Amino acid sequence: MKTKKALAALAIAAAVALAMAGCSSGGSSGSDGKPVQLTFWSGFTGGDKQAFIDLVDSFNSSHPNIQVKYTLQPWDSIAKKLPTAIASGSGPDIATPDYNVATLLQYANNKLALPLDQLVGSGKDQIAPGVLPTSLSDPFSVKGKLYAAPANFATLMLYYNKDLLDKAGIAVPTTMKELQDDAVKLSNGNGQYGIALADHSTIAMWPILIWADGGDLIQKGCSALNSKATVDTVTTWSKLIHDDKITPPGLAGQDADDLFAAGKAAFEINGPWAAGAYTKAKVNFDVAPVPVGASGKEVTLGSTVPMIVSSHTQHPKEAQEFFAWWLGKTAQAQLAKAAAYVPARTDMANDPSVTSDALVKAFTSQVPYSRLYLPTEKDFSKIDVDIFTPAIQAATQNGDAAGALSSANTQLNQVLGCK
Amino acid sequence: MTALTAHPPRRLNSQARAGWFFLAPSLLIIGVFVIYPIVQSLWMSLHDWSFFQTDHPFVGLNNFVEMLGDPRFWNALANTGIFTVVTVPAQIVLGLLLAVRLRRTTWWTVFLRSVFFFPVISSFATMAIVWKFILSANVGPTAAWLRGVGVSPTDWLHNPDWALPAVIVVGLWKNIGFTMVIILAALQDVPEDLTEAAVLDGAGPWRRFVSVSLPSIRQALLFSSVIATIGSLQVFDQVYVMTQGGPLFRSETLVTYIYEQGFTEFRSGYASAIAWGLFLIIMAVSLLQLRIFRYRDVD
Repeated sequence: MKTKKALAALAIAAAVALAMAGCSSGGSSGSDGKPVQLTFWSGFTGGDKQAFIDLVDSFNSSHPNIQVKYTLQPWDSIAKKLPTAIASGSGPDIATPDYNVATLLQYANNKLALPLDQLVGSGKDQIAPGVLPTSLSDPFSVKGKLYAAPANFATLMLYYNKDLLDKAGIAVPTTMKELQDDAVKLSNGNGQYGIALADHSTIAMWPILIWADGGDLIQKGCSALNSKATVDTVTTWSKLIHDDKITPPGLAGQDADDLFAAGKAAFEINGPWAAGAYTKAKVNFDVAPVPVGASGKEVTLGSTVPMIVSSHTQHPKEAQEFFAWWLGKTAQAQLAKAAAYVPARTDMANDPSVTSDALVKAFTSQVPYSRLYLPTEKDFSKIDVDIFTPAIQAATQNGDAAGALSSANTQLNQVLGCK
Repeated sequence: MTALTAHPPRRLNSQARAGWFFLAPSLLIIGVFVIYPIVQSLWMSLHDWSFFQTDHPFVGLNNFVEMLGDPRFWNALANTGIFTVVTVPAQIVLGLLLAVRLRRTTWWTVFLRSVFFFPVISSFATMAIVWKFILSANVGPTAAWLRGVGVSPTDWLHNPDWALPAVIVVGLWKNIGFTMVIILAALQDVPEDLTEAAVLDGAGPWRRFVSVSLPSIRQALLFSSVIATIGSLQVFDQVYVMTQGGPLFRSETLVTYIYEQGFTEFRSGYASAIAWGLFLIIMAVSLLQLRIFRYRDVD
C-alpha cells in the first residue's frame, strides 16, 4: 500500500515536471535569449522539394531569434492528421493543409486556422496592401478575413516537344482549333500521341479546355456541365481521343508527365515544376501560352498552395513574421530562381529575378489570364473526384460526351443544392 | 466447510492474477490498437462524424441507410465480390498445383519455391508500382516488346474492362506463394503408411491424391481459403496504387471506397458504417466457410 502511494506521488511529480518543461519551452518568445521554435508541416515532396527546404534554411539563417523546423509529409498524410493534430493541440504552428485551395474553407470554418489579421499593413513585418494578387487573396479569404498565404504560385502553359513539331513541320499552335489539328497529325497510332491529357490525380487540365471555349463547371452557383459551350468542348475533345487517339484515355497526371518525358507526346499542359524533370529526361521542349479557344480570350489555370497558421499556435506573431518574409521580394525571387515559380506579388513583373529567366518570365506573363480551379466550393473533392472526373472518363472511353455530362449535371446540381 | 470452500478460489485468484500479469502487455497493445478502434468506429458509424467538426451529432442508423441506397457502395461490393470469387479458388487451385509439383525436395524445387514465395515477403505497394510500370501501354517494357512484334498493346490499367482483371492477376502473383507453402507443409505431413496402404490396395496416383492426400490436408485448405477470402474482401493496396479504383470506379473495392470516404471526403462516420458492413460480410462468409469444410468434425 505504501509503495503504491509512493509510486503515485512519483508519477504525479514526474507529470508536473514534464508539464512545466513543456511550458517553459513552449512559452513566450525569445526574451530569455532562446530562439522561438516554429514547426512547419509541408507537403512539397515533388521535384520542387529542395527549393522549399532551401527557402526555410534562408529564413532560419537570417532570423536567429526564430527557428522554423520544416517537416515534409505526403499530402494525404497531412490531410488525415492535420485537423485532429491542431484540434488536440499537438499540431504544427504552420502547415500547408492541402494542394486544393477549397480545403482551406474547412479549416477556417472549424476554427483550426488563425485569421491573418496583421499580415497586411504598412509595418515592418507586414506586406503592403495591394501586393498580394486579388486572384489569390480573394479565395484565401473567408467572410472578409484572410486565412492563408500562398506557399507558391504558378500558372500552366502548353509544353511542346520541339523535335516532334519540327519533324512534322508544325508551328506552335495559338488557337485550340490548331492545337486539335496538330494533335491529330502528331499521333501515329503506334505509341506516339499528339497530346498527353490527364483526367485524374492531376493538376486540372480539362477545365482549361472548357474555360477556353467559354464553358465552365459551375456558373452562378449551379451546374454548367450541360451548357452548350461545355458540351461542345467535351464532345470535340472526346471524339478526338476516342476516334483519332490523340491521347491515351484515363491518364493520371504522373502518366501524362511520363509520356511527355519519354518524348512520346507532342503537347502537354503543365506547370513550371515539370520543367526540371523534362530537362533531365533530355526532352527538347519549350512552353507557349495555352491556345485561345472559342471564347476568344486567353485563359489558363493558376495553381497555389495555401499556407495556414494553426489556431492553437503559441507564437502567432512569429508565424506571421515568417509569412511576411516568405511573401517578401527576396524569398519570392529565390523561389522563382530555384523552381521557376511565379512571384506571388503584383509588383515583381519587371524584377530581375523574373526577367532574367526565360521560363519564369513566360509563366509570369500568364498571371493575368489565370484562374483557380473551384477554389471556394466546400464540396470540392466530391465535385472533382466523384462527378467531373468520371464524366470526362465516360465521355472519352465511350465517346458519348452529352450523355455523360447530362447525368453529371444532375449530380452536380444535387450537391450544389440547385433545382 | 466455509474454510474449505473459501480456500481454492483464493489460490485460483492469485493464479489468475499472474495470468493477467503475463497477458497485460499483449492485451494493452490489442486493446489500444485493435479493440478501441473497433469500438470507436462503431460509435462513429452512428454519428455524422468528420475530422474537421468538433461536434459529431448522433444520426442513428442514417449512415447505414445511406449505404444501402448508395450505388457506389453496391458497385464496390460487386467488384470486391468478383475479386474474391475469382481470386480465392484460383489461389487455392494454383497453390495446390504448385505444391504438388514442388513436393519433392531437390535443389531445383527449393529454388522454385523461393521464386514463388518471394512476392509474399515483398512490399505490395512497391510491387504494385513495378507492375504498373510493366503493364503501362505507353512507357512499359511489355508494350515496347509487343509493338516490336507488331501487336498494338492494350492499356490494361486504364481500360474499364481490363483494370479489375489486371489487378486480380497481380494479386494472384503476390499471394499464390503463401498458399503453396501452407499446402506444401500439410502435404509433407501426410502419413507415409496411408499412401503405402493405398498403393497396396492398387490405387493409382490420381486416386491416391483424391482419396488420401486431399482429405489429409483439409485443414490446410480451410486455413488457406479463409485467409485468402479475408484478404480478398479487404483488398486495398494494389488497387490503390495501380488504378485508384478507376477508371469509372470499375476497379473500386469496398476498402478503397472506405478510404476515399474517410480520408478524401473526410466522412469518417459514413466510412465507418461501410467498414462495419464489410466486417459483417467477412464474418458471415468466414462462418460459411467453416461450415462447408466441417471444421468441427472429428476425424
